[in-house]
Amino acid sequence: MTRYRLHHATTYEYESPVVLGTHFMHLLPRARPGQAVVEAELAILPGPDSRRDEIDHFGNPTTTVSLTGAHKQFAVTLDATIDVSPPQPPAAEDTPRWEAITARALQDADVAEFCLTSKLTRFHNEIADYAALSFLPGRKILDGLIELNSRLYTEMSYVPGVTTNASTALHAYKTRIGVCQDYAHFMLACLRALGLPGRYVSGYLRTLPPPGQVKRRGADQSHAWIGAWCGPETGWVDFDPTNNLIVADEHVTLAWGRDFADVSPLRGIILGGGRHIVRVGVDLEPVLT
Amino acid sequence: MFSITAACDEMIDRQGRVRTPWMPIMGAAREIGPAELERRGAALNRQIALAAPFGQPPRFTADPLPAPLTATEFATLEAGIKQRARLLSAALEDLYGPQTLLHGGHLPPALVLGDRHFLRPMHTRAPLPRPRLSLYAADVVRTPEGGFALLADHTGMIPGLGLALNLRRWSSGTVPELFRAGGLRSLRPAREMLVDHLHREAEGGIVAVLSAGSANGAEHDTVDDALLARALGLMLIEPGDLATRNGALHMKTLSGLLHVSTLLRGISGIDIDPLEQGGRPGLGIPGAFGAIRAGVLEMLNAPGSALLESAPLKPYLAALFPALLTESPLLPDAQEDARHTASKAPFAHGQGFIPLPMSFRLFAWHDGAEWQVLPGGLGMALAPAPHGPAPGTKDVWVLDAEEPRFIAGAAPAEPPERVKFLAAAHLPSRLADNLFWLGRSVERLEAACRLLMLALPRLESGTSLPRDIAERALLARCLAQAGLLPPEIATASISGRLLRQTLARRRPLAGLLKEVGRLVDASSERLSPSMLSTVRFALHQATEALPNEETALPTMLNFTATFAGIAAENMSREGGWLFLEMGRRLERGESMAEALALLLDAPPERLEPGMGLSIELADSVLSYDLRHAGILAPGPVLSMLLADLANPRALGFQAAALRACLERLGADDDAATAHQLMQDILNLAGQVRQLRAPLNGVATSLRALSDRVHHRFFTLLPEAHALDDDELLEAAQ
Repeated sequence: MTRYRLHHATTYEYESPVVLGTHFMHLLPRARPGQAVVEAELAILPGPDSRRDEIDHFGNPTTTVSLTGAHKQFAVTLDATIDVSPPQPPAAEDTPRWEAITARALQDADVAEFCLTSKLTRFHNEIADYAALSFLPGRKILDGLIELNSRLYTEMSYVPGVTTNASTALHAYKTRIGVCQDYAHFMLACLRALGLPGRYVSGYLRTLPPPGQVKRRGADQSHAWIGAWCGPETGWVDFDPTNNLIVADEHVTLAWGRDFADVSPLRGIILGGGRHIVRVGVDLEPVLT
Repeated sequence: MFSITAACDEMIDRQGRVRTPWMPIMGAAREIGPAELERRGAALNRQIALAAPFGQPPRFTADPLPAPLTATEFATLEAGIKQRARLLSAALEDLYGPQTLLHGGHLPPALVLGDRHFLRPMHTRAPLPRPRLSLYAADVVRTPEGGFALLADHTGMIPGLGLALNLRRWSSGTVPELFRAGGLRSLRPAREMLVDHLHREAEGGIVAVLSAGSANGAEHDTVDDALLARALGLMLIEPGDLATRNGALHMKTLSGLLHVSTLLRGISGIDIDPLEQGGRPGLGIPGAFGAIRAGVLEMLNAPGSALLESAPLKPYLAALFPALLTESPLLPDAQEDARHTASKAPFAHGQGFIPLPMSFRLFAWHDGAEWQVLPGGLGMALAPAPHGPAPGTKDVWVLDAEEPRFIAGAAPAEPPERVKFLAAAHLPSRLADNLFWLGRSVERLEAACRLLMLALPRLESGTSLPRDIAERALLARCLAQAGLLPPEIATASISGRLLRQTLARRRPLAGLLKEVGRLVDASSERLSPSMLSTVRFALHQATEALPNEETALPTMLNFTATFAGIAAENMSREGGWLFLEMGRRLERGESMAEALALLLDAPPERLEPGMGLSIELADSVLSYDLRHAGILAPGPVLSMLLADLANPRALGFQAAALRACLERLGADDDAATAHQLMQDILNLAGQVRQLRAPLNGVATSLRALSDRVHHRFFTLLPEAHALDDDELLEAAQ
């Protein structure tokens, strides 16, 4: 078990005062098998005149605030302590054939929606053909996933700043460049094109790698990867194509959904404000227990 | 005389006889006669088109004859519809809650979770404080076997409810002969129960119909929203009127923000909350989902309820009866070909009738304890009439239990409409703004017409007498000032022909009329149906007359006079009228001050032509002649044009009227400004020389006052925009 201390600060600075702001956030970490949230606090400045903490359709915590007084700065700070126990993925040969997963997943009320394409992970024949290379008939699901994860890692170039949160899987397939979010959408589109369930996971990667390891891509910031369903016995196994990892104890999950749009960390509709700048700082450190 | 075929099985029974409920209807039709009935049908549809808000044509053709249902038939339908509503309500609560229907295999998960109307933000752990389904409409058909079957469910927005609550009032006015038979269940008690229920649930908060409004009416019929608001005496509001504060919804009104607790939804659930669902901020209400989940806002129906209208899901719904209600369905699903085999009813077609397959749309609402079905509805042709316009729609009559009987004397089936003009305090800022500009634009049109009426004959019969030349020069300058002539040709040498050519080319009046039409549409929800139809008719005539040089100007002045008369005699002096009035007075004051500054800009010895034109322009010739025997002298002229507070065209009158409006609205400082302006104008009347600068000063002060009114009452919050988290991503990387 690893205990992490997580700090994530987002600050908006507006050119002119915002008179009314409504914000919807996915910024409190969820619990999941292998992850326990010991404590988590989301501080909002200036103090909102209403705040609602709810659980969304996917089971993620959400926070909705409304700010009425004129303000030129809006700051959201998450501080949390989280225990992560590395899940044990089964041996690949013990997992079902991938075709068995597609048949089963659509009948399962908790899994079915992750087989369906979404706005950012639409079906395209060329993506289906690309994905099929890793899922030859009869192949074990985990084998296929490990290979696809590694192909994406090898064939994509990690280039920050060229894509946006509206960039699609098709864009990533065609250009083969992007950031963690593009890797994740591309991999999800591959799985869903074959009828396999996959979910978009947002979260964090430990800032400094374990001793003797290379620094990971996507540390110091919001990170994203995917979860793939390997049947009712194994359940969900997470893959990080940006770093060619099966997720173990270096990741902390914030939320999951069909794609980025379901778990966008901070959305807002504001009145006034003019231009603005935003600063983000993330720190995920293991705590010695 | 009527081309009725035996195929009309709503009307004709198996033995080929007219069914009893249709006898008085067809009797009345026969009495009216085919030619007259065609005219009545046209009149009915004209009335609806004129009364319809937003200037949008209705999407149906109202049929002059109703579709009767016997008490027994209605009782059967009522039971089936109530049961269906209970089923759909239970299904919605489950699918947006525990989802046992998905986990238990009753519905294919992908069919529900993949539907675009399954709105994840509305999926909650605990039930909402109010049912998700509170309004429901069912389309049913009579099958060849004689029973009823369900064609379609309406669980999201409820199309046609507004029409269903209004159609009878219109037809009782146009075809009163039909209503002599009586024996018909009134919609009024049901409607009042619904209104009472809505207000009770709202606990003092505002209940309103939420519509996409005139700007945006793609998916849903916004005319029906407006009709519904009118029938229920509710406000009609648009997303732009609303803002979320303290997590609850508030409407921006002249007196500040008012809490809105219930919205009858005329906007697709998909667009309702741009905060959680994305989309353009202006199309929906950011934070609406959160307010609904927290129970501080009720929507009828809750967003996401249109899920049950999904075609792929429909075949599974009837099978849910045992699981959800442990009952078997009373109303069977219609067969695939039901639209073609549905019973036929006679629809008016030219001077006869044409039998068309028809469905009945019946409406139900949940009153907090149980479902109620409206004893009426719409009979909708399932096929268009050949060469017909929009599909025909009938008023559905539910007959009393006893046989229909004739009662002597016409008795209107519905009471006169109650149009509530709400006090200024509750007026949405957007509407006040529209009415203000409507007042201004009608006055601008009138001023332009008056000036042209004055100028055209003088420019045409131009002599070389010095007085005529002076008049032409003055008129040319006034025309240029009013934007009716380009300044470069506005000289004494301008001819009537050139002015006509310029008008024909630049079409300034057409532009003004179009703007008036736009603002009438935008304000139509605050004009009573009779006002609206009169104003629209006069506007229509004015537009038609536009190309005709002889009649264009008189017809347009006829329109402005109609408008002024209606506003004076038909509108309550509260609320909207005050803004219409302020717009009119500000515009008239400004254009009058500017024209007088030009016309009276001469030394006293050369003032006469300008004084003569001023008196005519202000329509004060008769009063002046009566008082002063036609002898033009600066003192009396200025007194009449500036200081006569009994003359509605005098400059001082405008300032006094503005002051009165502003006082009524509690804008005391602006009222004081208007009062000071009136004093200044009265003082000017004693001044004969150098009037130009002070008169232009009056115009400037009026413009400044207009800006202050605008700022005070209409300046809304700045436009909403989405905080994009693109930057967030970039900043992070």
